[in-house]
Amino acid sequence: MKTFAQLGFAGRLVAVEGLDGSGKSTQIYLLRRWLEAEGVKVYFSEWNSSELVKSATTKGKKRELLTPTTFSLIHATDFADRYERHLLPLLRAGYVVLCDRYIFTAFGRDVVRGCPPEWVRGIYSFAALPDLTFFFKADLEVSLNRILDGRPKLKFFEAGMDLRLSSDPFESFRIFQGRILEQYLAMSTEFNFTVIDANQRVEPQQQVVRKLVAERIDLDEFRRHSPLPLPPPMRRRNGDTPAEPEESAA
Amino acid sequence: MKKKVSNPIPAPSSRRCFYGFGIPGAKPDELVGKLIVVEGADGSGRSTQIAKLVEWLESIGHATVQVGLKRSTLVSEELERAQNGNVLSRTTFSLFYATDFADQLENIILPSLRAGFIVLADRYIYTLMARDLVRGMNEEWLKNLYSIAPVPDAVFYLEVTPEELVQRNLSKNAALDYWESGMDLGLSRDWFDSFLKYQGAMQAQFRRMQKSYGFTIVNCNRSAEEVNDELKKKIGAVLGEK
Repeated sequence: MKTFAQLGFAGRLVAVEGLDGSGKSTQIYLLRRWLEAEGVKVYFSEWNSSELVKSATTKGKKRELLTPTTFSLIHATDFADRYERHLLPLLRAGYVVLCDRYIFTAFGRDVVRGCPPEWVRGIYSFAALPDLTFFFKADLEVSLNRILDGRPKLKFFEAGMDLRLSSDPFESFRIFQGRILEQYLAMSTEFNFTVIDANQRVEPQQQVVRKLVAERIDLDEFRRHSPLPLPPPMRRRNGDTPAEPEESAA
Repeated sequence: MKKKVSNPIPAPSSRRCFYGFGIPGAKPDELVGKLIVVEGADGSGRSTQIAKLVEWLESIGHATVQVGLKRSTLVSEELERAQNGNVLSRTTFSLFYATDFADQLENIILPSLRAGFIVLADRYIYTLMARDLVRGMNEEWLKNLYSIAPVPDAVFYLEVTPEELVQRNLSKNAALDYWESGMDLGLSRDWFDSFLKYQGAMQAQFRRMQKSYGFTIVNCNRSAEEVNDELKKKIGAVLGEK
């Protein structure tokens, strides 16, 4: 597997990974604001996609129809749609694309659900590796508290209830997140994650993130020279209903 | 669990196994029913043959269940809409179809095989793979994707020449289907030409896959009755009927 730079793409992809509550979304948001201010051609992409695929995903989740295999496949479908329709053209066009979660989210989560790792990785092998992957590593308790304090109602799949780890959603969520964290740690070296200490406060983390991005990506190469505005957030097609706010990707 | 996905590909047989990884938790030995697959283009007589087979199998006391492409509860509707809008890229389509297949596999095929039913599949992973191969997708990627599938007890590919297929499709609908004509491939702007080229390419893929997957090619440029007699004879042998 190669990175976008190794494959000769004009753009660069920066991904953030980590548990829910690790603070990665805050960090990537701040990174984006900085790059925008720096005049960089930047695009931010979330872990959601076309209404079409989403409609099936939502139905599957609501009716609890999903098995580990179909859960994995439907998210792969969703990712492929976003990858081929948005990420690839933007990367060809020389954007710095920021992804809140990338294939590693699927690697961790699907394997915890019992899918064979080689099978899952084979399915996502059409996707190139990020040029830079930040892993926001927080202690399990820190992440759990951030999530559980603010959001008392956990959804079925989000809490990993399909795994029958516990009949208590909170307990199930704890065990599930703990297993996903183990997967992240195991992938960290293999996929060359840049680990950020996410137990720290927001500001020092962001300083490190900005410094590393500037070191690894020559931002001058990606500055905007045309008067064109930055692209809008991913648009849903005509007639599609507005998306619900994205729930936890796990 | 770490079975190699690549060669050798198991041939259809009475000893149940998967093409590779299988489904987490599914035990091959429990799948005591029979899985019979009928493959072929639109107009090859698949539905006619399957209807006749169901009638025959039930008359001799077998419980049957049918599955097919784009019939899952989970994604069939969305897949249909995507096809009509022609808005999804190749990998997305491929994975969408795989999701549809996996949903039926886990909710119908495996439970029915556990219960000892005869499962008649109106097309299976071979059509899905052939379509993608014709469109230039990576074969190893497809094999990994469909390594979740159980190896059927028998696979019949109903083969009709593209020239005869075009006649049958026009006689039935007075028009050709966009996807069955492979219009997304840009083989020709002329639907008739494109249909012949696309179906020819699909047939070549099936012929090629036949060598590794070992399915039975059935000449269907014959009457439905003649074809059905051949199918019954071969399925009878699989079931151990005399």
